[in-house]
Amino acid sequence: MAAPSMKERRVCWGARDLYWQCLDEHEEDAARCGQLRSSFEASCPQQWIKYFDKRRDYLKFKEKFEAGQFQPSKSTENS
Amino acid sequence: MLLLSLGPKAWPRLSQFKPRILPRSREGEFLHAWSRNLSGQNQPRGPGLRTRLLITTLFGAGLGGAWMAAKAEKEQRQRQQRTEALRQAAVGQGDFSLLDHQGQPRCKADFRGQWVLIYFGFTHCPDICPDELEKLVQVVKQLEAEPYLPMVQPVFITVDPARDDVAAMARYVKDFHPRLLGLTGSTEQVAQVSRSYRVYYSAGPKDEDQDYIVDHSIAIYLLNPDGLFTDYYNRSRSAEQIADSVRRHMAAFHSILS
Repeated sequence: MAAPSMKERRVCWGARDLYWQCLDEHEEDAARCGQLRSSFEASCPQQWIKYFDKRRDYLKFKEKFEAGQFQPSKSTENS
Repeated sequence: MLLLSLGPKAWPRLSQFKPRILPRSREGEFLHAWSRNLSGQNQPRGPGLRTRLLITTLFGAGLGGAWMAAKAEKEQRQRQQRTEALRQAAVGQGDFSLLDHQGQPRCKADFRGQWVLIYFGFTHCPDICPDELEKLVQVVKQLEAEPYLPMVQPVFITVDPARDDVAAMARYVKDFHPRLLGLTGSTEQVAQVSRSYRVYYSAGPKDEDQDYIVDHSIAIYLLNPDGLFTDYYNRSRSAEQIADSVRRHMAAFHSILS
């Protein structure tokens, strides 16, 4: 399987950006971004989708953490 | 009798005269004091003001000069310390033996006499490698736009030799810059050059399509015309910052081979 070309890569990135923008606009409600999710999955290799999903999770966590909204779990807090 | 008759006349005159005298004397004193104040202000303070301004200006200039000198010295010391640290790290020692994206054998001696910017990545990379290669290419373009600077050779070495053969590398590098050279090789050859440059890489688990992503460290390496590792730039450095740094290294370079 050949690596995506620059054009294919940019199509993938574009679909990811649209999907992420939809998630931003709907407070991470993926159900409301189903169509864009399908477009994203059709435009990118599967491994990239997994990678970008993990990256999204990380970026959102980082955002909350830096905003001071991180709440440690109770067990951690007690220990 | 005449004296007595004159007396009352004389007294009113005297009483009238006294009030006139007192205000006059007060006015005189005031004028005199005022003139004294004026002369006082004029004589000692005028030159004093100019002198004070001059002294303040000189003092400020002295302070500024001292601060700039101290800052320049500190920056110089920091650069020297970094150069020494990079030298002691002994990165990029030894030769390498790889194939370029046209199937030609390449070793370190082929780049002697050129400045080289190297990035280690893989063609199936989702976003970091293309971003970093675009940045590297921006640096190369900025530097080649300055005719008095020596040419810089951009190099992309794969850490995924299992998939990135000569043909795959050729397809990949042409999207970035006509002079971007892709290098690949056997698993052992790639492992050797990666160890030499302290590059971490590790292939992740395969999915049902046998696709996988290679985790790897992210850095752009600068080699000087003697083939010696000279500097490295991580993800946070912009193309402009890297270009500035390369220009400084070029200006400071003296070959130890010629």
